[in-house]
Amino acid sequence: MSGRRAAGLRAWVVQRLSAIYLGLFFVYLIGCFVFAPPASHEAWRSWVAHPYISMALLLFFLSLLLHAWVGVRNVLIDYVKPFGLRLVLLALTGLALIACGAWGLQVVILARIA
Amino acid sequence: MQFKIYRYNPEFDEKPYMQDFELEDIRPGMMLREALLELKKQDETLAFRHSCGEGVCGSDGMNINGLNGLACITPLAGLKEPVEVRPFPGIPVIRDLIVDMEGFYQQYRSVQPFLIRYDPEPEVENLQSPEDRDRLDGLYECILCGCCSTACPSFWWNPDKFPGPAALLQVWRFLADSRDQAMEKRLDALDGPYKLFRCHTIMNCAYVCPKGLNPTKAIGNIKALMLKHSV
Repeated sequence: MSGRRAAGLRAWVVQRLSAIYLGLFFVYLIGCFVFAPPASHEAWRSWVAHPYISMALLLFFLSLLLHAWVGVRNVLIDYVKPFGLRLVLLALTGLALIACGAWGLQVVILARIA
Repeated sequence: MQFKIYRYNPEFDEKPYMQDFELEDIRPGMMLREALLELKKQDETLAFRHSCGEGVCGSDGMNINGLNGLACITPLAGLKEPVEVRPFPGIPVIRDLIVDMEGFYQQYRSVQPFLIRYDPEPEVENLQSPEDRDRLDGLYECILCGCCSTACPSFWWNPDKFPGPAALLQVWRFLADSRDQAMEKRLDALDGPYKLFRCHTIMNCAYVCPKGLNPTKAIGNIKALMLKHSV
């Protein structure tokens, strides 16, 4: 699989699959907050620390980052023509997304070791 | 009936402008092309392409009240006044309503819109079952008028790299053809961020196609076929 293919078919498949997971998880998340909202910080923490929930949350962050990356990259390819500017914006987007992911990972780890 | 028509002659005009026209005698069932021919009698410098007058040749594609269509099969009766007529958006204007279609044809050429066979030429015709022939319905009818591609934002932003809906419909027309043998080659040529996957299913193409074809559906079929050949 060449890089060209990764940027075409694979990006498209990742966008669809992550969308399905995001859609399902959002429904679950909204359900949780509507029907059983955590009463305290401790309840909130132990909810995140539950093995299934932490795994689902990490998958959620990953899907969100991949989905955002493909989407933003599509917008930049469409609207930002100068190569240098596009490269800088892509790099900034990538770094910002990785930072968000690292933060999410940190939150889950801290909740589990506390 | 009131008309506002885009005028631009690069030899004399610094900038394009909209010219007002009025046509008194509107016959029942009159199409926009006939009205333009009448208006051309009022001002002979008005330039537009047209030929068959019945939606077969695809010469008189233009932007009518904001929507791409063929003037010859657009009834005046359904149009809001003043009728704004402009050239296709997003591609270079040569003069008035005449646009430079070269980029569009270049993209069409680039997808190799013809049967490719590797087997030796048979002694008889390449026969096709009626079912296989049915798969080409809704694909072969394209007249290359350019209404779809010039209505597509992805084609506006990347006309040199994105083949556009008309060319992609033709790729599917040959991928769907039981006699064609270049499936892998055709699919490989479409991968990457600028070819098939620059389509974001905006669906302007299917909305404006004067022949009622659906390039978005064809593109979806190509994506599904590519996925099937990759996993």
